[in-house]
Amino acid sequence: MIWKAIGQTITGTSHLQSERGCEDALSFKTQALPNGDEALICCVSDGAGSAVHAAQASSYTVQTTVQTITELLHATGAIEENNIIEILEQLYEDLQQMASEKEEHINEYSCTLLGAVITEFYALFFQVGDGAIIRDTNPDQYAPVWWPHNGEYSNTTAFLVDDPNMGHLRIIRLQETIKEIAIFTDGLQLLTLNNESLSVHQPFFQDLFKWLRMATQEEHLQVLDRKLGEYLNSEPINNRTDDDKTLFLATRF
Amino acid sequence: MDEYISFEQIPFGSESFADNPEPRCPCVLLLDTSGSMSGKPIAQLNEGIQTLKKELLADPLASKRVEIAIVTFGPVTVESDFTTVGNFFPRPLHAENDTPMGAAINLGIDMVTRRKNEYKAHGIGYYKPWIILITDGAPTDSHSKAAMLVREGEAMSSFAFFAIGVEDANFDILREISVRQPLKLKGLMFREFFIWLSGSLKSVSSKNPGNKVNLLPPTGWAEV
Repeated sequence: MIWKAIGQTITGTSHLQSERGCEDALSFKTQALPNGDEALICCVSDGAGSAVHAAQASSYTVQTTVQTITELLHATGAIEENNIIEILEQLYEDLQQMASEKEEHINEYSCTLLGAVITEFYALFFQVGDGAIIRDTNPDQYAPVWWPHNGEYSNTTAFLVDDPNMGHLRIIRLQETIKEIAIFTDGLQLLTLNNESLSVHQPFFQDLFKWLRMATQEEHLQVLDRKLGEYLNSEPINNRTDDDKTLFLATRF
Repeated sequence: MDEYISFEQIPFGSESFADNPEPRCPCVLLLDTSGSMSGKPIAQLNEGIQTLKKELLADPLASKRVEIAIVTFGPVTVESDFTTVGNFFPRPLHAENDTPMGAAINLGIDMVTRRKNEYKAHGIGYYKPWIILITDGAPTDSHSKAAMLVREGEAMSSFAFFAIGVEDANFDILREISVRQPLKLKGLMFREFFIWLSGSLKSVSSKNPGNKVNLLPPTGWAEV
């Protein structure tokens, strides 16, 4: 075990009230690499509240993306920006196909996408829409890879299906060793990012990573993962956000 | 060392959150207080506004996010400027005078534009503003500029404009003004309307493709 990772997706209280169900989705895996390292692959997606098939779109998007990246790493041992672009273009076609089969507009499959592939020597990040990927810059110090993409209104953003040419895609490959990473959807954005200073609210992540670093066994991770779910559904959080919320955390041994 | 840590016992989580202002959803009510509204209609409208306040107050997030303003006509008066519902103390409205609906709409649009600029200046996020017109008659002033501004605003997604007609409202004119289909209030079901409005306002934070506004179905208060 090189990566210690936990992640939970929790239905927002407004979604519970309107019986909409959870439209966030999360998928992550580790894949052994030929050099003995282990790649961490994670994708998070937030389906648009007013899109009919938001939940299906977000869950298909994260599962397909993680699966395809895993297979690629298994086959070739490496991944580049253009691989990601190809995967997302194919995803667009899949979602278009699903929409066509149901004679619906592709907008009904609107969802965001946040993704990371991290190996010992490089990291690939990609993002369409809001939410954020946070990485360590120094021990116990975190910075967003990108600031969340919102439109004029707080609830408007870009979606994967907005553009077949992926005009909204942000993608970067860093030749760095990243030891800690968090990914979250916009349901947690107001709690974890300081809008005025455009910075990460450090104590939030310091409090969580502190415990994850101490875990040494699989069963520790199971306990922390369960507690993460309880925490995301706790009153202090629900008083501040009624949206679906996903939080993924990973630290390198 | 790890055997000394009981992961079951640890206080996993953080109580430290970023201190961001809540995003706001401005909502202007343009209310017809012309003479024809006197008696039962104005009484039911007053009661409906109190219901709106009560419903929004009961929701911890809506009470921080929704900002209500009231413009009455006529004469055109800012009865209450934008405020969150905790500070919203609507006075009973009285029905008198004529129906300068056009001027009231122009003012409502100005107020929404000004409010957005204030949010921007203070780094406060916001949702698409709502302008809600409630009338039982027809304008006694010109409504052509208002109709143009509503069309422009809707096309640019600057706000969402809703027209609600009561009893003998002139629906031909409401259709000229509002891009969205005007709805007819069933009898004087203002209470049901405002419960619906607060319910719809509570879901504004939900993410939308193509700038759509999420509304609950107008069941119970609108005539089909």
